[in-house]
Amino acid sequence: MHELGIVIQIVKQMENYMDEHDIKRIDKLVLGVGELSGVVPKYLRDVYPIAVEESKLQNTKLELEITPGIGKCQACGFTYNLVQNDNICPKCGSNEFSIITGKEFMIQRIHAE
Amino acid sequence: MDALRVIEVKKSVYANNDLEAQENRDMLKEQDTYMMNLMSSPGSGKTTMLVSTLERLKEKIGIGIIEADIDSDVDALTIQTTGVDVIQIHNGGMCHLDAAMVRQSLDDIGSSKLDFVVVENIGNLICPASYDLGQNLNCMILSVPEGDDKPLKYPKMFKKVDVLLVSKIDTTSVFDFDFNALEKNVRKLNPDIKIFPLSAKTGEGMEAWTEYLLKKIENGVHT
Repeated sequence: MHELGIVIQIVKQMENYMDEHDIKRIDKLVLGVGELSGVVPKYLRDVYPIAVEESKLQNTKLELEITPGIGKCQACGFTYNLVQNDNICPKCGSNEFSIITGKEFMIQRIHAE
Repeated sequence: MDALRVIEVKKSVYANNDLEAQENRDMLKEQDTYMMNLMSSPGSGKTTMLVSTLERLKEKIGIGIIEADIDSDVDALTIQTTGVDVIQIHNGGMCHLDAAMVRQSLDDIGSSKLDFVVVENIGNLICPASYDLGQNLNCMILSVPEGDDKPLKYPKMFKKVDVLLVSKIDTTSVFDFDFNALEKNVRKLNPDIKIFPLSAKTGEGMEAWTEYLLKKIENGVHT
């Protein structure tokens, strides 16, 4: 259960953040999840209620912003969606690429009181 | 009720772990203890390789093993037969270790009196790749039966490690394993990686690996 451990870590991190910044309540937590981050959005949503139980985030809503996995072809320079194209450049067919976006897994912002 | 305000946090989810990992690293440096994070798939021969490595090093340096397993102590018992200190972490079904769990075990095993600590991570090539533990060396084992195309399937892990041990090379003739293909696949992801082909069973390659490791341990913490 990769996601549960991750969410528990996020909850701890945000509880500390609340103490440090004197925040009473977080209404909404927005996470940025890259398509290539290895984290499954559905599982994040599934385990979230369990992870926040009896924490300061118990009543905090979760929102996910998904960042697409975009790569740049090393052969022809074309920029394309890696997930939709199975990592193969639709222009020249090369499978050598560098990742531009989609690896990130971030706490983006909070709506707080 | 106060009005809600939006705060841009923009922090990596792994930031907390990275911080704790750095604390481990600082503490180990102070203790002059070298830590290796050992990762692999289940069944790669991790424990057998470790036992064989320990047999070659245990007279020379003080060693402790942190053994992670979801729910058994089979591996820990095997390692205990070498006479080296071992601690078992049961992490309750989690697929990886994090820096905080390792810190607890370092304290429990008494890392300050040891020269070398091995963290035998959970057997899996995905999740452990995301977690810095504060180690000095990331090492992974790939066994010949797993195939030479593994780097294509788990690029993140192959990118992260400093050393790749290719284990069970005594079985190469049975499996269709192409070393050149493996090396090409790995180097594409990680040009600086050290690769040691070895067999814990026959002892082939073990000397080169343990000599390299011993040198790392002797120089490592300060570099």
